[in-house]
Amino acid sequence: MDLSSFAGPFLPEILLLAGTLLIFLLDVLGIRRIEVTGAVAAGASALALLFVVADLGFAPLAFLANLSAGQVDVAIAPGATPLYAFTSLGLVFQGIFLTASFLVALASMSRPSNERGAPIFFGLLLLATLGMLLVTIASDLIFLLLSVEIVSISTYLLVAYTRKDVRSLEAAMKFYIIGALSTTLSFFGASLLYGAYGTTNLFAIRAVAGSVGYPVLVLLGYGFLIAGLAFKATLVPFHAWAVDVYDGAPTDVTAFLTGGSKKVGLFAIFLVFLGPVLFVAPGAGGSPFSGGTVNIGPVLQVTLAILAVLTMTVGNVLALLQKEMKRMLAYSSISQAGYMLIGIVIGTSPALTGATLQMFANVFMKTGVFLVVAGVTALGVGPLIDDWKGLGTRRPLLGVAFGLMLLSLAGVPLTLGFVSKFVLFSSAVEAQGYFVWLAVAGLLNSALSVFYYARVLKVMFFDRPEPDALPTGAVAGGSEPSLLAAGGLGYARATAIALIAVAVVAFGVYPQPVLGAISNAAQHFIHVGP
Amino acid sequence: MTALPLVGFVALSSALFAVGLFGILTRRNFILVLIAIEIAMNAAILNFVYFGAFSNGTAGLTGQAVAVVLIGFAATEVAVGLAIVLALNRVKGTINVAQANELKL
Repeated sequence: MDLSSFAGPFLPEILLLAGTLLIFLLDVLGIRRIEVTGAVAAGASALALLFVVADLGFAPLAFLANLSAGQVDVAIAPGATPLYAFTSLGLVFQGIFLTASFLVALASMSRPSNERGAPIFFGLLLLATLGMLLVTIASDLIFLLLSVEIVSISTYLLVAYTRKDVRSLEAAMKFYIIGALSTTLSFFGASLLYGAYGTTNLFAIRAVAGSVGYPVLVLLGYGFLIAGLAFKATLVPFHAWAVDVYDGAPTDVTAFLTGGSKKVGLFAIFLVFLGPVLFVAPGAGGSPFSGGTVNIGPVLQVTLAILAVLTMTVGNVLALLQKEMKRMLAYSSISQAGYMLIGIVIGTSPALTGATLQMFANVFMKTGVFLVVAGVTALGVGPLIDDWKGLGTRRPLLGVAFGLMLLSLAGVPLTLGFVSKFVLFSSAVEAQGYFVWLAVAGLLNSALSVFYYARVLKVMFFDRPEPDALPTGAVAGGSEPSLLAAGGLGYARATAIALIAVAVVAFGVYPQPVLGAISNAAQHFIHVGP
Repeated sequence: MTALPLVGFVALSSALFAVGLFGILTRRNFILVLIAIEIAMNAAILNFVYFGAFSNGTAGLTGQAVAVVLIGFAATEVAVGLAIVLALNRVKGTINVAQANELKL
């Protein structure tokens, strides 16, 4: 079947939009059961994911591919200013975002069925994912920022969707104010760049990036733009909102925020940063502080390198001090953004591979831990880390799954987290210069992070719970809880958690297919560019 | 059009942006924060309008088109903000940003 003649290159996007509209239509018709709307959301995400994987050249699914070879990674003719362009790295990111949305939709089908707002939750989830897919193909600054805003506006509402819970409403309010602030910052930056370059197209900007005057406009423009996007990506010092929002939001939404929407900010930084860095000859233009024509690349690179080190260190140190599970994981999520930024800063093909692989790993690990926390909280376990005493011995399967995710976050060998950190840090060492220090900072931070992950493991597996403090977990039947699926977690959530645990180990032991696809995509990206 | 210097226009929108930013950071009433967000957003829109007017050919049209799109976008964003503030007011009875303290430890 020739799908491209039917739906064009936007089949995954159309699927998500159709899913959103279907969910809202069902809502109007009075069909609001969480199983139905959740199945639509998970199904649309999974189907779109299959199409994207097929487009990436996965042979067994080749019959599903809807992009022909002439549409991906095409070199842009000089002077052309397309609004969007398909790159294989963008497709990899589409896969990452769709995985996050699929896992969250699947697990959320186990939310309490008497809870109101299931159509809102799943509809907005698909809409946010649609925005993420558009971000990955954007090649125009305005297109990019508007797509980022589709994600942001949907996620503000996702955080507030219960409409009764004071904590999540306050989280939504903080999220909204900070989000709107960052939006105005990035649009103001984009307007200054439009003034300096006379265009908003990323290809056109890249073509003139080394030969334009107006140093003040360029410097301020990139400063505002990167600051605005850094808010979305929770880079230190723009991170303070993240912990409150991740803590206050319904935990399944938090899983989507850390797994999906945070990476939107990172990918957007990727796109606006790589143009002036990769495609401007090293000698071209002067420093923005010396006047004349401007080469913004080196200044951006140093700034982002400092942000990367700050983000890793501050995130990890503050995570060490937390007593609450969700806040600890929120800080660890901030520090993870720092690792990913290393790869973006360096900008070589192995480094891009490392950063992308780190994000791929992060989708499973971070989404996974928050999905577990959501399930365990529903069992009646308190918010503190100490409340998790003995959970690992009481619920061995759940404990092992959660333990695997934590080990992978810490970067223990034979897990996906180890592979991604290995590729990332070795690429930094390879790149020489001050990038080696980024690798050193990353390694030290990984060592630091082992402390707080190990503390959770110790509490779960080696601490004896006080007899009366132990949650029985016997929510539904009143009998002794069974091992994993039935014991209050719900089958859908248990399936999602099991999938993640298996993926973390399977890709950790046998990373070659993913590694090959990502490194191939990164090489193309270096030549074609954003 | 060339009689007026571009620098003056940019200074105006920068001042407007500073006013908006100051409002977002200091106001305690959520509605006033929303208004401040609008002011800052309009500074960016104004920038697109001037830079579009001062450049030639189709590049100038981009600025005008983007300005119109952003006006629509800003309205969307404020609508969502009002929805959140309405829900918060129902549950908590206040829209004071400083009293949002449920999440502090």
